[in-house]
Amino acid sequence: MEYRQIQVIGGKGSAPGQFATSLRSLAVDAHGQIFAAGDSEIKVFDAAGRLKRRWSTARPVLSVAVAADGAVYAGQLRQIEIFDGAGKLVNTWRDETLLGRVTAIGFVKDGVLAGDAADRAIRHFDHNGKFRNNIGKDNPVHGFLIPNGVVDFAVDSQGIIHAANPGKHRVERYLPSGPLLGHIGRFHGTDPAGFGGCCNPTNVAVRDRIYVTEKAGPRAKVYDFDGNLQAVVASAPFDPNCKNMSVAVDGRGVVYVADTVKLAIFVFEPVTV
Amino acid sequence: MSQPVSRRDLLHNVVRGSVLATLGGGALFLVQKAHGQVVWQVDAARCINSRLGDTGAEACKLCTTECVVALSAVRAVNEYAKCGRCNICPAYFNITSAVDEKGLPSEKLCPRDAIARKPIGKADPEDPANNFYEYVIDEEKCDGCGKCVMKCKEPLGLGSIVLRVRYDKCVGCNRCTISRACPKDALVQIPVEQALRPPELRPRTE
Amino acid sequence: MKPRPRTVAFRSVAFQGWGALWAAPILGGILSALLALLLGLSFAPILAAQAIPYSRPVETAPQQDTIGGGYKTPAVQKPLPRDALFQVLDVLILAAAMGISVWLVLQRRSRKWAVALTVGSLAYFGFYREGCVCPIGSIQNVAVALTDRTYAIPMVVTAVFFLPLVVALFFGRAFCGGVCPLGAIQELVVLKPVQVPPRLDRALGLLKYVYLALAIGLAIKPALGRDFLICRFDPFVGFFRRTGAPHMLLLGGGFLLLGMFVGRPYCRYLCPYGPLLAWCTRLARRGVTITPDKELDCGLCADACPYGAIDHMRAVRKDCLYCARCYASCPCDGDLAHAKAELVTLS
Repeated sequence: MEYRQIQVIGGKGSAPGQFATSLRSLAVDAHGQIFAAGDSEIKVFDAAGRLKRRWSTARPVLSVAVAADGAVYAGQLRQIEIFDGAGKLVNTWRDETLLGRVTAIGFVKDGVLAGDAADRAIRHFDHNGKFRNNIGKDNPVHGFLIPNGVVDFAVDSQGIIHAANPGKHRVERYLPSGPLLGHIGRFHGTDPAGFGGCCNPTNVAVRDRIYVTEKAGPRAKVYDFDGNLQAVVASAPFDPNCKNMSVAVDGRGVVYVADTVKLAIFVFEPVTV
Repeated sequence: MSQPVSRRDLLHNVVRGSVLATLGGGALFLVQKAHGQVVWQVDAARCINSRLGDTGAEACKLCTTECVVALSAVRAVNEYAKCGRCNICPAYFNITSAVDEKGLPSEKLCPRDAIARKPIGKADPEDPANNFYEYVIDEEKCDGCGKCVMKCKEPLGLGSIVLRVRYDKCVGCNRCTISRACPKDALVQIPVEQALRPPELRPRTE
Repeated sequence: MKPRPRTVAFRSVAFQGWGALWAAPILGGILSALLALLLGLSFAPILAAQAIPYSRPVETAPQQDTIGGGYKTPAVQKPLPRDALFQVLDVLILAAAMGISVWLVLQRRSRKWAVALTVGSLAYFGFYREGCVCPIGSIQNVAVALTDRTYAIPMVVTAVFFLPLVVALFFGRAFCGGVCPLGAIQELVVLKPVQVPPRLDRALGLLKYVYLALAIGLAIKPALGRDFLICRFDPFVGFFRRTGAPHMLLLGGGFLLLGMFVGRPYCRYLCPYGPLLAWCTRLARRGVTITPDKELDCGLCADACPYGAIDHMRAVRKDCLYCARCYASCPCDGDLAHAKAELVTLS
């Protein structure tokens, strides 16, 4: 499989469609709209890359996710703000201990998942924000090994959570109730199918396949559910100093990667060979 | 006969007295300018090996080769509070070397084998990869070559290892020979209290 | 027999030769001023390091409560530099050593003990303290302190600069004799010294002034362009540190080799502290004296002095490096004091 770059959205600057200091998280909704979390704002781009809407968040925003009903969840320090599709604040979930640094948000049938980097775990809440259980803490190191400071995960269509565990160089599969089902990936310094460096992969997205991004030798890759490397989406366009590049995939298999240094969203589409 | 002698002696004494007074005055003036100790230190924000931005480059070895002391007074220091404690540390291992049967790189990076690796915290006996590891640099072996510093630097690592001047080894030259050679002017002369503080790699903007 | 200037009224030894030797300091002074001006004008541009234009993410390393298992983050070792108390001790030892040198050479007149002091100084100031901080190099620090308002000179360096000069004002170059480690190492290799012809000696002596001017000129440049020449080109520091650049070790070895046949070449022709000491010595009341009434005109002391400090049977105090060889060779003095030779008197 191969991919080619079709677009670059955003960039570093002060214009409405650009990012000033940070670009942390991407999400794609069912209509193909791209939600980008950076600075203290959520920006919404259409499929063509034009800025449609943007609104501020109370604190610098660390993650963004779009629920099936169109609600936008913005993860921040010690809270999650929930907006409607137009950007109006609907609710705020605050928790000093359970929502320390919300670096990823996902949805399962019975609730909301929030990745807390401060505690190196994924929290499972119900739709009202009531805490159910932790995911990923049931091991001797009490959590994910995340020297990069970001817990990232994605939920597939079966409701299985695919969480990146960079310190162990693998992507782990969990049930929302907590147990570990399995993992894919291994460390390898030179083999492109392996994860190199000290802590990779940093971010993960899932839809039919598992999409990961890595740092230090930044690249985006695609694996199947058995852990076989399907494609290296790209490595060249990213700034070599990137880390924690958020990744999102839409229904057409188009991959969106957030370059955290250039502060731009790179868009790649699969090329039918 | 005695008169020329005494006049000369008098002149002698006067001149000597005034020279002594000048010297004394000069000394007093200089002493007023004296203050706390000033030492040489590596500015981590400028040092090629630790400053952000240059990735994948060859480590700069000037701190090792230029220092007048036999084994350079500059050594790599791991700021433990900033270390990621990663299982596969790119400063400890040569991460491009072949992977052995345990899943770890087979070669170590340090040419003098100065870094020691030991598991810390609660160990997982069944999954050794699921553990934190402490990396301690043996300063008696380290020669400040900067390889580990370059690899630990972001984005590959967390940048906890930096080159520091060690004052039990540094002889405190008027002009540090490394400072004369450093292409980024990273050797600076600062008060000793400032020199002993943890290095600032880049001001945080969040 | 050479006519002796005995019938001339007694002249203070320090003033002897002022007429002829005026030329050297004046010439040296002019050269120094010119060179200092030239070098002071050539300012080196100070390069600013370029900032990398992006920010570092928040500190995310695991802390000791996250790691758990009773782990405590170890403290990073921060070795302190040598305690200031020890530096004061060094100054006291310097003062004491000069005091001992004066006493041994002028009072005891013992060559044996002067050598002992030389060895002791070489061991302490040379190999233990590795020749740093030294009064010779301190010239640069004092020059910088006088010209740069932001430079704060350590008190120890000031003390180390002024103490030998103050001693020189009263007793002459006691510092050179058995205290200065550079002098000490050269002193111990003197084998068969030749007497350098006076004209050559004077001409080479001008090099000291050139070096002094260069050293000051390069030291007073702005901070990053500053070059401490005396420290960089110290030929013996490589031996003291037991390590060094090959060319400097070779240079040091060369000086020592030369020093076997020409007494203390660095001290006499290159040491930039020498002119300062010489100027102070001119005013010294006490120092090595060859008393006209008592001397035999045998010339043994002049032959024994490897440094050309005895001219026409009179000690040239500003060149005298306090080695006490003249005392050791004098038949009227020291160990031979009791075995008085039959004097041939002039009628």
